[in-house]
Amino acid sequence: MKGYGKYFTKKIIWFFITLVAAIILNFALPRLMPGDPVAMIISRVAQNINDPAVLRQMYESYMQRFGLDRPVIEQFFIYVGNLLQGDLGLSFSRYPRPVSDIIAHALPWTIGLQLPAILVGWTLGNVLGALAAYIRKGFDKALMPIMLFMGGIPAFGMAIILLTVFSLNLGLFPIAGGFEQGLIPHMSWRFVFSIIQHYHLPFWSIVLISIGGQAIGMRSMSIYELNADYVKYSRYMGIKDRKIVGYVFRNAMLPQVTGLALSIGAMVGGALVAEIIFSYPGLGTTLLQAIREGDYPLLSGIALIITVMVLLAVFILDVIYGLIDPRVRAAQYEE
Amino acid sequence: MSKIMLEVNGLTTKYITRYNESVYAVNDVSFQVEEGKSVGIAGESGCGKSTLALSLMGYYFPPLHYTKGDIIIDGRNISGMDPDDVRKNILGTEIAYIPQAAMNALNPTRKVIRFIEDVIWAHDPKISKKDIHDLARERFETLNLPEDTLNKYPVELSGGMKQRTVISISTILSPKVLIADEPSSALDVTSQKMVIKMIHDLMELGYIKSMIFITHELPLLYNVTDDIMVMYAGQIVERGSADQMIFDPIHPYSKGLMGSILVPEDGTRDVKITAIPGTPPNLKKPPDGCRFAERCQYVKSQCRVQNMELAGLGNGRTSRCMMSEEELREAYKNE
Amino acid sequence: MKNTLKQVFRSANFRIGFIIIVLILLLITIYPIFSPGNPLQMIGYDSFIPPGLYVSLYDSLDVPRIYTLRLEGADQIRIYAKLRPTDRELIRDWLLLYSEYNEVFELRKEDINLEDTEALLGLWWTYFDPEIRFENLTIAERRAFARLDTRIDGIFDLYDKYIWTYNPETGEQELVGSVTNLAYINVSDVTNVRLLPLGTDNFGRDMFKQLVSAITTSLAIGLIAGLIATMIGLVLGLLSGYLSGFVDDVIMFFTNLFTVIPGIVLLILISYSIGQEQRGPATVAIVIGLTSWVWTTRSVRAQVLSLRNRDHVNLSKLSGHSLPRIVIKDILPYIASYVVMAFILQVSSAILAEAGLSMLGLGPRTTETATLGLMMNWAMRYTAHLSGAWWAYYPVILVIALISFALNLINTGLDRVFNPQLRD
Repeated sequence: MKGYGKYFTKKIIWFFITLVAAIILNFALPRLMPGDPVAMIISRVAQNINDPAVLRQMYESYMQRFGLDRPVIEQFFIYVGNLLQGDLGLSFSRYPRPVSDIIAHALPWTIGLQLPAILVGWTLGNVLGALAAYIRKGFDKALMPIMLFMGGIPAFGMAIILLTVFSLNLGLFPIAGGFEQGLIPHMSWRFVFSIIQHYHLPFWSIVLISIGGQAIGMRSMSIYELNADYVKYSRYMGIKDRKIVGYVFRNAMLPQVTGLALSIGAMVGGALVAEIIFSYPGLGTTLLQAIREGDYPLLSGIALIITVMVLLAVFILDVIYGLIDPRVRAAQYEE
Repeated sequence: MSKIMLEVNGLTTKYITRYNESVYAVNDVSFQVEEGKSVGIAGESGCGKSTLALSLMGYYFPPLHYTKGDIIIDGRNISGMDPDDVRKNILGTEIAYIPQAAMNALNPTRKVIRFIEDVIWAHDPKISKKDIHDLARERFETLNLPEDTLNKYPVELSGGMKQRTVISISTILSPKVLIADEPSSALDVTSQKMVIKMIHDLMELGYIKSMIFITHELPLLYNVTDDIMVMYAGQIVERGSADQMIFDPIHPYSKGLMGSILVPEDGTRDVKITAIPGTPPNLKKPPDGCRFAERCQYVKSQCRVQNMELAGLGNGRTSRCMMSEEELREAYKNE
Repeated sequence: MKNTLKQVFRSANFRIGFIIIVLILLLITIYPIFSPGNPLQMIGYDSFIPPGLYVSLYDSLDVPRIYTLRLEGADQIRIYAKLRPTDRELIRDWLLLYSEYNEVFELRKEDINLEDTEALLGLWWTYFDPEIRFENLTIAERRAFARLDTRIDGIFDLYDKYIWTYNPETGEQELVGSVTNLAYINVSDVTNVRLLPLGTDNFGRDMFKQLVSAITTSLAIGLIAGLIATMIGLVLGLLSGYLSGFVDDVIMFFTNLFTVIPGIVLLILISYSIGQEQRGPATVAIVIGLTSWVWTTRSVRAQVLSLRNRDHVNLSKLSGHSLPRIVIKDILPYIASYVVMAFILQVSSAILAEAGLSMLGLGPRTTETATLGLMMNWAMRYTAHLSGAWWAYYPVILVIALISFALNLINTGLDRVFNPQLRD
């Protein structure tokens, strides 16, 4: 396991480097824009708030947070200090509710929706891609164009298609929200049932758009592996085809794990927009409200949380990949 | 006269291409290999020697198809047997194969010992894990392979080690016939030597009873095998002892092939290219007469009409030519 | 070169993708010639006008000639249009309610034949009374019955319709003509006819015209973003792959960094900071291009690494050729196919990125140009899906999917030519 230890250490260091980079970007981007960032941020929200006292209060609180009169390095440490205390500032649109509180309410919905959906989409896509590579012929010919076409539909497009067909026309599922309006969240059968009812459409729209790309990737990988020399050799050593297919698909799936790590950022981005279509009470819908209402603290907080989530997912996938692919460990010795 | 280990009678196999054309890559091949003997097969690239190696296994999958002929191993005719029967009872135990590209012949994500288990269980699922491990350890020890190789992944092995591991796995069930398809051509000289020594050891220790060694490197065959067969366009054109074939080839094609190898000193390049002008015939539409006629400098009009059978020349040699041994020797002398 | 093109066109995938893209390009070049004008002009007074051929009612009154046609089934069609199956069910519902309410009147559900229009309407006109208030009926339901009654009033009547005009001299209405149920006009005689293939959006703007202009803008955004991303990716990939060492380390550090930091987050932060007023389509395209070069860098670098030690490159190096010459003559031609494929992918993902950004309200500023993303944003903002205005969003989704599909097909076609392993 020595090779793995080295690999793991590398990955954990890389995780922290990316985390720091993400924080720096989050800190620097608004400051890079020309003009007074605080004035600009406040001007966005001004049209929605009429009380000048509140506006002044916001300006001052934000001026203090940004500390623009101080050196940049000091500003950065104030920013990081606040972050470490879990302080992301106060929301403008729901003043004076803390941003961290709003995010804490939305985050479970997003994770609960996207994590299973992306995993299910990834699994189904890999199974279909492997089958297409193994069966070939008509199945492959029919499936691949469908997968390519589905891979081209944006997440929100799939969400709208499912919404109009299954909810508006067939009336099978509710139109919007995470649970029935008027219900107070608590543990009861009715509430759980309502959550499941509202879960279906957003879930399947994310699953369906993830399938396409994964299936195509898995198909190419599988075809590549099926032509590998070890397949022929194993056959001539008398090993059963079923067992060899097992080798092939395991080997084809390994790069797909890395592939997921590399594409999870884009998938999450697409899924956030899909949330909006269903007014799902997660980060995507909150993000849209923050943008519409000029709520910069909320926007910046959500951006940071999404980045941290994605970085964490990539880290976990890297760790898993190192465990299941022996080549990673071998590569560590070569260096 | 010793026991005949492998007897091939009129074996014909074909490739069926994507466009449904048949290519007879092995055409009416007959020969015998006695116990304790090794036979080399030489020929240009594309002459069908690798296809012959695969065809001898008696186990066919697309695009390679069996057409006709018999393969008799130690008195048992394996052609026409049920494929699963061949897989379970013939491959690996009666006849085994060392592939051309042994570098990638092992599944990169499976430990060597796991693969050995798979191989043995494919033939006899009842053998205990302990017995398999004991056998594998013993074999590796006798063949001077480090024992920890068993617990490594193929990616952790060097090229030469990988090749020797593959040879050990191929022969682990002590097959009666071993077919080695260019097992050393991709290796450096030291590794090549070790591989050859290993094959000698296998014969001496009785782990294999006979061998067919395929290569395009003729000097190598001289050191490794007892007999040499020369193949051209899917057919055997001449067979004799290694000495006879290297120093005294009779068939015009063998003559050209050997001649180009044995004079490496002066202007190697020129000799090789001009040695045998032209290219082998298209096997989708083989000529009616002698297949070498188009390139043969001693060609007669009769050659283009009639294809000769392989005929004995005395002292164990056979050749496939219109002209008699004396006529040919006379022609060679006049050059 | 010619041979490669021939090979590429032999791939069915490539051909289909190519044809789709060519058709789209033809559409966006030809359609504006036939239908010039501002695509964002608001022509409709109502929102979400359904697709159809619109004929000016005013102009159809004084067409030069009126034809009398005795077309079979015209009456049935007219009656059917006024009395839909749901209306027939509504009549039955009322009659059944009435049968419960009035003890003398007996009617069972089986007795009512919904197909027999005359009998059904006979019953309705005999018994319907808006004054009767059944229990358990909401106001809306009661009004639905009343509305139905006014709508089908005189459904069988075939009286002529009379046209009167105001005479300013006398100050009186004068009868100028009448229209019978057999009167027809030829649409080509009407001066003002407008085909709205996809109706209008919520602002009353011609959806089809807008869509064509949106495709143009979105493709332009995709091309600009793709070009920027490819240029950055190509330069960084070449430098990183060919120079190796410190330069490689630095470039790869940033490449790996921006591979894991989600592009959408960068897009959101940058676009928001730029502000709505500053965000034109070009700015959005540049921002997308600047945040999506990592994939090209990676694939170019990988290709260069495998090429760097090939014989022909070494030969060039030994001959003392300069770095730019080696890169341009000995490396670029070999990676050109990969760069083209990467560029195509960049274009398609940039179009999707613009759509996603616009959905979030961070796309190009509105009301000046249409993009595919903005059209989606408008449709969702004005809840087209809840009003059943499918024409406001389905065509847009279809177009986005088609462009992306076609570009992906082209790419797989190219891939099969340049990576023979995938062929079979």
